[in-house]
Amino acid sequence: MNEITSSPYFGIVLSIFAFEVGIKINKKLKTPLANPLLIAILLVIAVLQVFRIPVANYNQGGAIITMFLAPATAALGISIYSQLELLKKNWLPIVVGTAVGAAVSMISVFVLCKIFKLDEVLIASLLPKSVTTPIAIEVSSQLGGLVPVTVAAVIITGIAGAIFAPLMIKIFHVKEPIAAGVAIGACSHAMGTTKALELGQVQGAMSGIAIGITGVMTVVYALFLS
Amino acid sequence: MKIIMQIAIVFAICLLGQIVVSVLPFPFPASVMGMIILFLLLLFKVLKVEYVREKTNFLLQNMAFFFIPSGVAIIENYGLLKGSALKILAICIITMVVTFVATAYTVTFVIKWQNKRRKINE
Repeated sequence: MNEITSSPYFGIVLSIFAFEVGIKINKKLKTPLANPLLIAILLVIAVLQVFRIPVANYNQGGAIITMFLAPATAALGISIYSQLELLKKNWLPIVVGTAVGAAVSMISVFVLCKIFKLDEVLIASLLPKSVTTPIAIEVSSQLGGLVPVTVAAVIITGIAGAIFAPLMIKIFHVKEPIAAGVAIGACSHAMGTTKALELGQVQGAMSGIAIGITGVMTVVYALFLS
Repeated sequence: MKIIMQIAIVFAICLLGQIVVSVLPFPFPASVMGMIILFLLLLFKVLKVEYVREKTNFLLQNMAFFFIPSGVAIIENYGLLKGSALKILAICIITMVVTFVATAYTVTFVIKWQNKRRKINE
């Protein structure tokens, strides 16, 4: 058994199956709560626990999947480029908005962590949680955080953003579609953006741009923290 | 062959990102540098979107999949989280709302300020 599960193919095949199941469930239930990534992670954990497979074995294949994170982040550059016209027209509100958003996110996380008396490692893990996972992972490990905790926090934040986005727009009277889009992208990255796309084309595009720029802002702010 | 070439271009950009980061005097995520390099190469027309379209579409459309192993590793930190799970959940949701409001109001404010200036200029 150990020989089979320690093959890199095991981790890769298990991950792909788990993700497929996640996508199927998500399509059936049509709710942001049934997030495919969340389902896939829970499924893989369940399989590893039930069959008593060491995480190290799973990681033989897992490491290969993780290798694609950097190219996937780089690919975000192309999605910013594809919104170039919108970006040129509204660069000032976008840049100022994401700069404020990224700062407020990190400050509010820090203050709440202090109120809840969480330790330094958890604070470092949670600080970048509003930005897209690949960037959050890098910032977290740079600050001395725990990457898996960061991944979990990013997913929770994204799901919450996707669920509450329409409600927040109503409660806080956000009438400007550009403002709504940038805000969704800044507070809940790609998962929130899926909701922004449903709200309208401007909101979707703005949210997409905000993911990348908020990410870069967060990286820059983190430089002063480490 | 086309797809292999595209993979080579994207990987080369990632490698370039690592090289640039290694000479910077401060720590900067290599993958984010790769993102900036790709954006600049497209902006200055060094690279055409067609050269990398299929590969980047593949990466962007399957983005979530690549995070599965990073998420699974949470079982190794379970002990640390046991007591703080609810607090972390609360922090994630509260700060998400605060960030949304701050960003939305800032953007609205800047747009209104721009419109006012435009009117004055006219």
